Amino acid sequence: MSRGFRPPAPPRLLLGYGIVVAGLAALPWFTELTVYSHNLMTLAFLSIAGALAWNWMGGFLGQVSFGHAAMFGVGGFVAARILLAGPVPAPLAWLAGGLAAGVFALGAHPTLRLRGPYFSIATIGMGEATRLLFTYWEDFTGGSSGLSLPIQTDMKHHLYWWGLGLVALVAAASWLIRHSALGLQLLAIKADVDAAADLGVSATFYQDLVFALSGAVVGVTGGMWASYFSFIEPNDMFGFDRSIAFVLMAVIGGVGTVLGPLLGAVVFVLLRQYLLASYPQLYLGLYGLLLIFIILFEPLGLTGLWLRLWRRLPWARAEA
Amino acid sequence: MERFIDLAVSAVLLAGLYATMAYGLGMIYGVLRVVNLAHGGVIMAGAYMGWVLHGRLGLDPYLSIPLVVGASYLLGVGMYKVLVRHLPRGAAGGPASLLLLFGFWLVLRNAAYLLFTGNDQSITTTWSTRSVALLGTHISATRLAVLGVGVLVPLGLHALLRHTHLGRAIRAVAQNPDSCTLVGVDVERIYTITFGLGTALAGLAGLLSATIFAFNPGSGSGELLKSFVVVVLGGLGSVLGTGIAALILAVVEVFAILVMPSYLTAAVGFIMLVLVLVIRPGGLFGHRVLG
Repeated sequence: MSRGFRPPAPPRLLLGYGIVVAGLAALPWFTELTVYSHNLMTLAFLSIAGALAWNWMGGFLGQVSFGHAAMFGVGGFVAARILLAGPVPAPLAWLAGGLAAGVFALGAHPTLRLRGPYFSIATIGMGEATRLLFTYWEDFTGGSSGLSLPIQTDMKHHLYWWGLGLVALVAAASWLIRHSALGLQLLAIKADVDAAADLGVSATFYQDLVFALSGAVVGVTGGMWASYFSFIEPNDMFGFDRSIAFVLMAVIGGVGTVLGPLLGAVVFVLLRQYLLASYPQLYLGLYGLLLIFIILFEPLGLTGLWLRLWRRLPWARAEA
Repeated sequence: MERFIDLAVSAVLLAGLYATMAYGLGMIYGVLRVVNLAHGGVIMAGAYMGWVLHGRLGLDPYLSIPLVVGASYLLGVGMYKVLVRHLPRGAAGGPASLLLLFGFWLVLRNAAYLLFTGNDQSITTTWSTRSVALLGTHISATRLAVLGVGVLVPLGLHALLRHTHLGRAIRAVAQNPDSCTLVGVDVERIYTITFGLGTALAGLAGLLSATIFAFNPGSGSGELLKSFVVVVLGGLGSVLGTGIAALILAVVEVFAILVMPSYLTAAVGFIMLVLVLVIRPGGLFGHRVLG
């Protein structure tokens, strides 16, 4: 395998990417988005970024993490503390939050040599321990009463573009990772750790790298989340339900596919909004059912469904 | 010194519960190579079964053991037939089984929430406040009973595995399912029974813990993690190993109160899980659980 392996982005794909990003960026100026849908889209962007980053670990490497809320919370609280400390531009605070979350993720190094169910269960333990410790650390997180951030005018409004920018970056990174030598190495580790090691692909190194990167992105998302709500509370930021959300978004969209988690996150956010409004008492169970159906009938989620439909379309058949 | 004895006694009493909890998880993993992520959910379900039987029919939790165990067994058989059996072969231990059973856990949680609301519940009987004087301290009668069941049930199961035809079949399937097919063991049937037995134990553990601790639809993740610690630490298929591992976990948890604020003792189990996985993934006694 040559290190220079990198197929160029097909021009059509690049064009489509540019049009979608530019179109979404311009959308608020061209249409009369209500404040509600403007904000809903911002939340969707943040969720998409988190789901795509989770997928680097859970999909590309096949290490299903039930503890990504730990990095989300660390990023959120570090960013919040910086914003409370003085007049720092918010994006710098988010970056710092992301950096802190990335470093924090490196602390999980010992668990990364665990594979499969052991890793997954260790992440539940790490996530819950982190939640308890940070809830207890009142000087930093404000304990159960949480932290209120200084209100910045228009911050919520502008976060639309910051969130979109983050998604654009993370989506491009997902594509690049998948279509680079790194992506192949991750795939090799996922398929067979020992065989990969025989070929000189160090599972330890790449898992650390990917976990730190994934954690850093989720940390930045956490920082933006803090700015969006201007109030954060450790039991929510570090909560198990938040870790589950990352898993669900990626699984609904298609674990391990490049852009599936993006679709999954959109569906998740819309569904959640709808379910929370109409059937608040049912929404966890419905997600559980969805998870069961996806695993039993379409392990690649929406992406798999899409591929099936695509193959049935007349022009796809003509090409084949 | 008195406090020390108090703590030691309560650790021993807790260990029986942990052993029961863990034995079911270890059994399913040992035979099917599937980590039952819904284990915590079944424990929670068992607690509610006992609670309903006690509240509606006035049945003493210890008299309702056969009912709860039977119902949990059927639940496990259903889980296997409807869900686990359809996982692709070979990938059974992979992310797919985790996600599938996790989905089932969410469904269980939601069902409990709909049926019983999110309030904390517990089973209190007329004799749950009684205590027995022993070793210079007073021991709550409920906890003593829990310990008794927690010792008897794994021992009984061990006897079943060692000395019956079914037990031999289960152990054989755990070693090599393909050869079992060759000699005429119905592997699917053994898988079904094992999954049923594993969840029956989880249900029993839930019922037992409901007589000591409060529970709500969200509980179960702590129980799952503790079971996992005990399984990894104690190794598979060894009653003694499970018992010792359960005792270690209980002792560490109980004595943590001496050195840290009580709020944080809940984190001890989680931290211990990570430490055990990282430092001694092979368990204490060399029955390697890590594949």
